[in-house]
Amino acid sequence: MINTLPAVAAVPHPQEPFIQKLLRAEALLPDSETNVLEVVGILKSYGVVLDAYSKNLIYIADHQFLVLFPFFKYFNGEVTLPRLLRHWWHDRINFEYAEYCMKTMLWHGGGQLDAYLDSDDFLQRCRAAIAAKIKSNPAMRGLNALFSDFLPEQVRQMVYYSALGQFWRVMSDLFIDLSDAYDAGKVQTIPEVVAFIKAGLVAAAANPITYSVDIAGKTYDLLPKSAGLTFLMDVAVPYVEAVFFRGTPFLGTVSYNAQAYQISADQSRFDYGALYADPLPIGGAGIPPTLLMQDMRHYLPDYLTAFYQAQGRGLDDVRVKICQSFQKSMFCVTSASLQGLLPYPADTQDSVEQATNHDFLAGWMTRLATSRLDIVQL
Amino acid sequence: MLSALILIPLVGALVLILWPGQLEAQTAKVVSAVSLGLTLVVLLLLGSQFELTTPGLQFEELLPWIEPLGLSYRLGLDGLSLPLLVVNSLLGLVSIYISDPKLHRTRLYYVLLLVINSAVAGAFLAANLLLFFIFYELELIPLYLLIAIWGGARRGYAATKFLIYTALSGVLVLGAFLGLVWLSGNSSFDYDSNLAAALPLAQQMTLLVALLVGFGIKIPLFPFHTWLPDAHVEASTPVSVLLAGVLLKLGTYGVVRFGLGLLPDAWMALAPWMATWAVISVLYGSLAAIAQTDMKKMVAYSSIGHMGYVLLAAAASTPISIVATVFQMISHGLISALLFLLVGVVYKTTGTRDLTVLRGLLNPERGLPFIGSMMILGVMASAGIPGMVGFISEFLVFRGSFLIFPVQTLLCMVGSGLTAVYFLLLVNRAFFGRLAIAPPTATPQLDVDLPRVSWRDRAPALGLAALIIAFGLQPNWLARWSEHTTLALHQPYQGFVVGESRFAPAALPATVAETILIVPAVSPSSAADAAEVYLP
Repeated sequence: MINTLPAVAAVPHPQEPFIQKLLRAEALLPDSETNVLEVVGILKSYGVVLDAYSKNLIYIADHQFLVLFPFFKYFNGEVTLPRLLRHWWHDRINFEYAEYCMKTMLWHGGGQLDAYLDSDDFLQRCRAAIAAKIKSNPAMRGLNALFSDFLPEQVRQMVYYSALGQFWRVMSDLFIDLSDAYDAGKVQTIPEVVAFIKAGLVAAAANPITYSVDIAGKTYDLLPKSAGLTFLMDVAVPYVEAVFFRGTPFLGTVSYNAQAYQISADQSRFDYGALYADPLPIGGAGIPPTLLMQDMRHYLPDYLTAFYQAQGRGLDDVRVKICQSFQKSMFCVTSASLQGLLPYPADTQDSVEQATNHDFLAGWMTRLATSRLDIVQL
Repeated sequence: MLSALILIPLVGALVLILWPGQLEAQTAKVVSAVSLGLTLVVLLLLGSQFELTTPGLQFEELLPWIEPLGLSYRLGLDGLSLPLLVVNSLLGLVSIYISDPKLHRTRLYYVLLLVINSAVAGAFLAANLLLFFIFYELELIPLYLLIAIWGGARRGYAATKFLIYTALSGVLVLGAFLGLVWLSGNSSFDYDSNLAAALPLAQQMTLLVALLVGFGIKIPLFPFHTWLPDAHVEASTPVSVLLAGVLLKLGTYGVVRFGLGLLPDAWMALAPWMATWAVISVLYGSLAAIAQTDMKKMVAYSSIGHMGYVLLAAAASTPISIVATVFQMISHGLISALLFLLVGVVYKTTGTRDLTVLRGLLNPERGLPFIGSMMILGVMASAGIPGMVGFISEFLVFRGSFLIFPVQTLLCMVGSGLTAVYFLLLVNRAFFGRLAIAPPTATPQLDVDLPRVSWRDRAPALGLAALIIAFGLQPNWLARWSEHTTLALHQPYQGFVVGESRFAPAALPATVAETILIVPAVSPSSAADAAEVYLP
């Protein structure tokens, strides 16, 4: 006699409703008039801020190459007394936030960009640029001789400055275009917002990511087009992974204790990113996401300011409200990214492809189980 | 002029009763506030004419009433009652200010508040034992109604319990007064410090025990305290402010005025037991406070602990400890009023006082950062942190009592340390961490959106905090009014203090200024000499 285990009914994924929504080209965020207003409004101000971040990141990558003490890196080459005073007065764009994101990407790596930066090809190009840059600087040459990995690592960081700047250049224009479409009545629902963003990401997906610097009249290609690095897979996906999902345990508004093993030893299991961030500050030092909220506050469209004004404490807690709206918008961007990255078309009729798509989304949704997904549904 | 302090609130109450037509809450509030504001003006006038160097009663008023019973309408003011009268009017004003403008039965509510104010003023002013008793009992009914009508869910239970306990307190106090006068062969109940001089010690002790238990219920002291936490929890915030800030002081005032002032021989005999009772009350109150999860109950148990200090200081009956009783009464009045006020704001804003669900209220964007800061200031003052009046009062209590009852004083100091423990627990649980009104284990953690606290609601807390700091930095602003009265109260106890002191009598300073400013100490030979030497 053969004993067999009884058949076990398949247990649906705990986030199955969200998986089905994504497959139906809907969003992780519920569709409502106020959600659309918040998401589009906040993405408009985010677009303005990203424009500034992007320009500054590219300026630093291009003009502060191997400047070890870049005192005026946030001035984009215009160092004047009024700008200096304004900088010290702190009524300015917090470019530090952009750098935090860049460093988070550098730290988590991922994609072909990370792999290329560890290749011999890159190292050769890097050493050539370094040699040209420090040729007449004995101190730097001494430093390079003593610590031969130091300057290449600085160059890798410069690459990330440039890559993130190029990525945000596209995203900034995309979000401003989205706002224009909303103002023109072409976008009215959350699924339409997601579809707009997805279309923008797909359109830019194959854009090449390159980086070169000019030293003494000669151009050094550090990320040549031949490396085959592209916008979506080599920058956008690592960015989403690093900034939306993993984040950094020390730069948020919650303090974690590494000695008490509150932080996973496995970097891939980090969940301190924007989708998990707590919008309520807890006496932190004002580091992300607070800096970004301060920046976006300056560029809120009037309708969003009026919306915030009418809620609860009005504009007294506007940064918290901005953070909540921003988080909603990031769930829309995540929805668009996941739909754009589906292995097969969402409407495929092939059961194998459907299963593959489902498994792909289930993997991501498992990671989102502890995110703020439940809160944004309310 | 003293009668004005009793009559003005009564006239205010009468105006409210006779107010034609529908009485708007705002109108009732203004009439009540004006009445108590006028009493403050009267107190200011009295203060300007008050003779600091006169230890006895001033501005006396006498109106024969029911002479066969020995009852006369005799009022007087001294350094013991003046500060308490000011606190009564001040906290009465605060209570009126913070009263809910949407109350039902507005007319009755404000009338009762004014009657309480009048009755308490009468009790502090009465220079006739029966008259004191009448006023002492008179405040029970309005307070019972205030809890029973405008209280919380278990208001009926709390109000009845309060009434039973305090009525029993009244019976014991009345019995002691009757016994005191009849046994001494007097026909008048007028206050006279020599009333019990001829009584044998056993009779004096019996009377004192009755008084101590009677006033011990009111203070309240362990084990007669059980009505207080219930009353506080069920009472609305303005009533809690009055209850903690003023009404409990009737008990400590009675102990000092009638126990210490009328029965010195029995007092000296029972003092070590009273000091031990004080220790038990302080430690019990503090330990019970640690176990509480309701913010208001924690502050209520803290009151039981802090009232014990008054008994310790009174038992020691040194010049410093007696002035410390006044300081502790005023200090506790201001600090507990502030704490109850803040707990009230937290409750109004969050809908709960449960320390297992309140967290992170100091959150700068969405929490109650101002209220939280005031709460931290209040608990620091209560724990005796220097720079605030709580430190001065506790320092005086301990400094004045240590030489007489070192062990009991040290144990009470443990109670002071426990104050820091339970209030840090309160602050840590409710004000630090991630803002939430849910248990830490709840998922998901919602984004709390508390309404803003207006400056109107912040103002009374700010005023009380300013007084707490002002008297903490300048204690003589308060001590100068009471020192001569308390030195006179000490006079019968000089031999006792010298005899009981484990240290040289010269080590015991005579005045607050001397204690705090560390001027070389000289023991006074008499209250009058002391006044000349230490209080120019």
